[in-house]
Amino acid sequence: MATVTTAAASLGSLFSWPLHSSRPTASSVSFKLMVAGQSSTALRSLRFRVSCVARPETVDKVCEIVRKQLALPAETELTPDSKFASLGADSLDTVEIVMALEEEFGIGVEEESSQNITTVQEVADLIEKLVQKKPDA
Amino acid sequence: MKVPCCLFRNFSYVPPPPLVPVQLPSSGEAHLWYVVPDEVKDPSLLSQYMDILSPCEKENVLSFRGEGLKKAAVLARALVRTTIARYQINGHVNPGSLKFCKNKYGKPELHWEHDLGKPEHKVHFNLSHTSSLIACAIAVNSLIGIDVEDKQRKLKSNLVSFARRYFTPHEVKVLSSIQDPELQRQHFIKLWTLKESYVKALGRGFSAQPFKTFTIRIRESESGDICALNCLDNKAGITVECMDDPNRLSKNWEFATMELMGSHYAAVCMENSAAHQTDQGSYPMRLIVRKTIPFVKDELVS
Repeated sequence: MATVTTAAASLGSLFSWPLHSSRPTASSVSFKLMVAGQSSTALRSLRFRVSCVARPETVDKVCEIVRKQLALPAETELTPDSKFASLGADSLDTVEIVMALEEEFGIGVEEESSQNITTVQEVADLIEKLVQKKPDA
Repeated sequence: MKVPCCLFRNFSYVPPPPLVPVQLPSSGEAHLWYVVPDEVKDPSLLSQYMDILSPCEKENVLSFRGEGLKKAAVLARALVRTTIARYQINGHVNPGSLKFCKNKYGKPELHWEHDLGKPEHKVHFNLSHTSSLIACAIAVNSLIGIDVEDKQRKLKSNLVSFARRYFTPHEVKVLSSIQDPELQRQHFIKLWTLKESYVKALGRGFSAQPFKTFTIRIRESESGDICALNCLDNKAGITVECMDDPNRLSKNWEFATMELMGSHYAAVCMENSAAHQTDQGSYPMRLIVRKTIPFVKDELVS
């Protein structure tokens, strides 16, 4: 029973934990409510997912690169929820954006993981995950 | 004319204008229909196009930013619907009544409700658009993919670096060997459209068949100039070779590359049906190209 109490306490602090991003973008990460009795390993992996929400600087950099690639007029609003397709990006644009981001952040994006990247936030989150996985220089 | 009751959204329903009927492509044949957004200016025409879209498609159109993108989005859906309606499959003449669904990888397909009866032959379609040209390819019983690009399209990144990142060694070698930067860029665009058309024909998405996993080989034309693919030229010998699956027969796929309006490159990739193959290889794809302004006029290009 002690384990369950600990798990519940950790869960409580998880939801009050200030997330890295102060923007409402964090709402794009979905939290699965852990049922009491779940192993602490599962909770640890949930915390790992939380820490992959992109930092504002990452999101900003992605926006900058997207804006440049798509030559968006200054008045076009670009938010983390912005969809590439809605901004007029075709497949060649998307691939160029990915390449520019790879160069900017020093990462390699596998094509397999780029299928579900449709918004600025999703790209930023993937970048954050890949940057954190990089071996320390 | 019998009108399906699902179309009665309100009492002021007006059926769309008639479309000139067309025969479906035969085996080994593909149809390409294209529309130029700049030539469609009449707001009432655009309104007619909007009227044949499903609620979901309308919502999607409105999600685009900027009038130009919204217009292109309406035209793209209107092109697909009116094109398919022309073939009067199962007696369907109304572009607004067509239903679409997605395959398990997200590729759009025609959906026939069971009470209307599944047609005898499966009609495949694929759509591609740039801001300045939208094209739709149609085939029967064959997977088909199409990609169009503005001839003047310039990459923001360095062309050869881009190729090294995304293309295969053979393709990079061919590209790098072209001295003239403009010819090199043109070749790049053609190669991109060919690769895209293959991935789109497969219908499993960009990430399921990364560009690095297959090589497109363009055999030189008689003049020896690999860039002399200016007209509908499926005799130049374009083949695909899969790096990860040598058993996947490259002769299963036919390619055609062409210029449209002198301003765009288009590539079409179609699956070969078994009936179309001989011991010497397969018959080249027959491609019928038509330019259209749906409900207004159609023009046979080749």
